[in-house]
Amino acid sequence: MIGSIAAVGAGLAAIGAGIGIGLIGYSMLQGMARQPEMAPKLMVNMLIAAALVEGVALFALVICFMGVK
Amino acid sequence: MAQSLTTQATDLAAAKMAAVNRFIMEHVANSGVWMPLPGVHIHLPPWFSVHGLMLTIAATILVLLFGLCYRHKDPVPSGITSILELFVLMVRDQIAMPFLGAKDGRRLAPLFCSFFFFILCLNLMSLTPLFPAATANINVTLALALVTMGFMVIGGMVKNGVVGFFKAFLPHGVPWPLLILLGPLEFIGMFIKVGALAIRLFANLLAGHIVIFSLLSLLLMFGLLALPVVALVVLVFFLELLVAFLQAFIFTLLSAIFIGQLYHPEH
Repeated sequence: MIGSIAAVGAGLAAIGAGIGIGLIGYSMLQGMARQPEMAPKLMVNMLIAAALVEGVALFALVICFMGVK
Repeated sequence: MAQSLTTQATDLAAAKMAAVNRFIMEHVANSGVWMPLPGVHIHLPPWFSVHGLMLTIAATILVLLFGLCYRHKDPVPSGITSILELFVLMVRDQIAMPFLGAKDGRRLAPLFCSFFFFILCLNLMSLTPLFPAATANINVTLALALVTMGFMVIGGMVKNGVVGFFKAFLPHGVPWPLLILLGPLEFIGMFIKVGALAIRLFANLLAGHIVIFSLLSLLLMFGLLALPVVALVVLVFFLELLVAFLQAFIFTLLSAIFIGQLYHPEH
């Protein structure tokens, strides 16, 4: 099995990003439920935060891709 | 006997796996051959690559689209121009103006519109079977991110002066011994932000296309047994359609935020 450790690394990166994006979505939904008129503003800010979290996970994923070789 | 059968099966699986890998790499990797349809090979000249061709096609599509739609200076949008203006307004009012201020936002809105439409066009093109994915190439996304960095550095220097530009990296309200540590860190952070911008777009597109093609290659590996996977591919395809819009939006949004941070440093 070539590159199986890299696959484990990709999975670990997904766990971290999953927790992070889950927390962001949780608080965004909570904020939207409390103040529906803020929803568009919250949406943009949620996307920014989600993109930053996702960026870290994708960094890890790229490094895992490189590790496969 | 059983031994040789097992080796034969393993060899067959390995050969299929290699074919699948080549099939995937031909879609996402840069090469000198464009394959618009199965069996059709268009060899490009050695100074040109297929991703460069995709960039040219996307630029041509956008120039033709906007040029033809706005040939008559009709003040009321209709048909396709109303969709285009929806996006232009979204980029200007939700991306450029909140993060750059009304004046600079209006001045830089063409840049962000170009980013948005160019990336969106490339992403949507790569979802059709005719075109390979140019945004799944790190060189393309890094070049786009370097345009952002040019605006950050040169624009910041023109707007705030060279000293003012470097002052933007010193956070306020911290004791001065910490600034020796924080200043260089913030300066390196600028390069990391730009690199992350490039890698985000690249990795999202690359991962999406690899997922679609890996699922489709299950058909190649297992034959008709894997037919239900097509339903899954359709689902993933619609997810990729969302990602195509989302990544164009995110790239433009983060570019605006990063440029805005250096145009109007906090005091």
